[in-house]
Amino acid sequence: MHELGIMFHIVDQVLRVVEDNELSEVEAIVLQVGELSSVVPRYLHACFPAATSGTMLESTKLEVEVLTANGICQNCNKVFAVIEYDRVCPQCYSEDIEIISGSEFYLKEIRAC
Amino acid sequence: MREFRVLEIKESIFEDNNKDAQELREQLKSENTFLLNLMSSPGAGKTTTLVKTIESLKERLSIAVMEADIDSDVDARTISETGVKVIQLHTGGMCHLDADMTRQGLKGLDAKGTDLVILENVGNLVCPAEFDTGATKNAMILSVPEGDDKPLKYPLMFKVSDVLLINKIDVMEYFDFDLDLCIERVKKLNPNIKIFPISAKTGEGIKEWTDWLYNEVKGE
Repeated sequence: MHELGIMFHIVDQVLRVVEDNELSEVEAIVLQVGELSSVVPRYLHACFPAATSGTMLESTKLEVEVLTANGICQNCNKVFAVIEYDRVCPQCYSEDIEIISGSEFYLKEIRAC
Repeated sequence: MREFRVLEIKESIFEDNNKDAQELREQLKSENTFLLNLMSSPGAGKTTTLVKTIESLKERLSIAVMEADIDSDVDARTISETGVKVIQLHTGGMCHLDADMTRQGLKGLDAKGTDLVILENVGNLVCPAEFDTGATKNAMILSVPEGDDKPLKYPLMFKVSDVLLINKIDVMEYFDFDLDLCIERVKKLNPNIKIFPISAKTGEGIKEWTDWLYNEVKGE
């Protein structure tokens, strides 16, 4: 349900680009989703047909790129992938980390003509 | 085969709504209307807290309420008994309200000249945190039975809120709820958040909360 609402926003956003650029067909929509953003790529795919139904994007492909969440250790300054290392610094084992990326959620690009 | 080209957009998915929300916030400021976005899980006591808040402030401020729900109008009916103007918004299956829906609600409410408009958002700790409604301030209610670990599970909601009401403190002894630990967890996510422990049922803490809100509305 969460992803469906978001998907409707994305469809609106893309349709605006289509109108502004006078495009006739969109082959693919590419999204970038951070590992710590609260959206699930699988659900985005699941909602996509419902959100595009009745629009010119019905046969458009949805591609989702997942961006790694990185954190910096507050103790030794090591930058590491927080999900992979379960929020524990692999160098000094400190749990005092600051998240520096991973909550992104972007409409990266569309392929269209 | 048609020739497709790549159009780089690199725009945040929430960009449109963020812009729209900012415009609405400025418009409300120029009209001297304070919009409070009230968020919580289902069952945290939003409507009861709202009734107490209205009763405490309605002599001093002109108040109106927008009730957002997926369906039904039970909350709107409860609120209307307090005598303030209320409108029910149906999100039609959507789990949150965005700035455009909020603007339409304000229009339907005919809120011009109202000191305080309270938006009771859909009961949910995920989606409403991501969609800026254009509110002047965001308030969140966390109730004791939900547990003191909620800040760990729904960090964004605690980050976007300006004020947190910890409700149902009258039943604290029956639950494994550590108030100090909860406050510490919240402050770690959001050092500037205001926190009021309250019981909408017994009225404890309501005065402190509504005094704070009154001062915010009056810009003092």
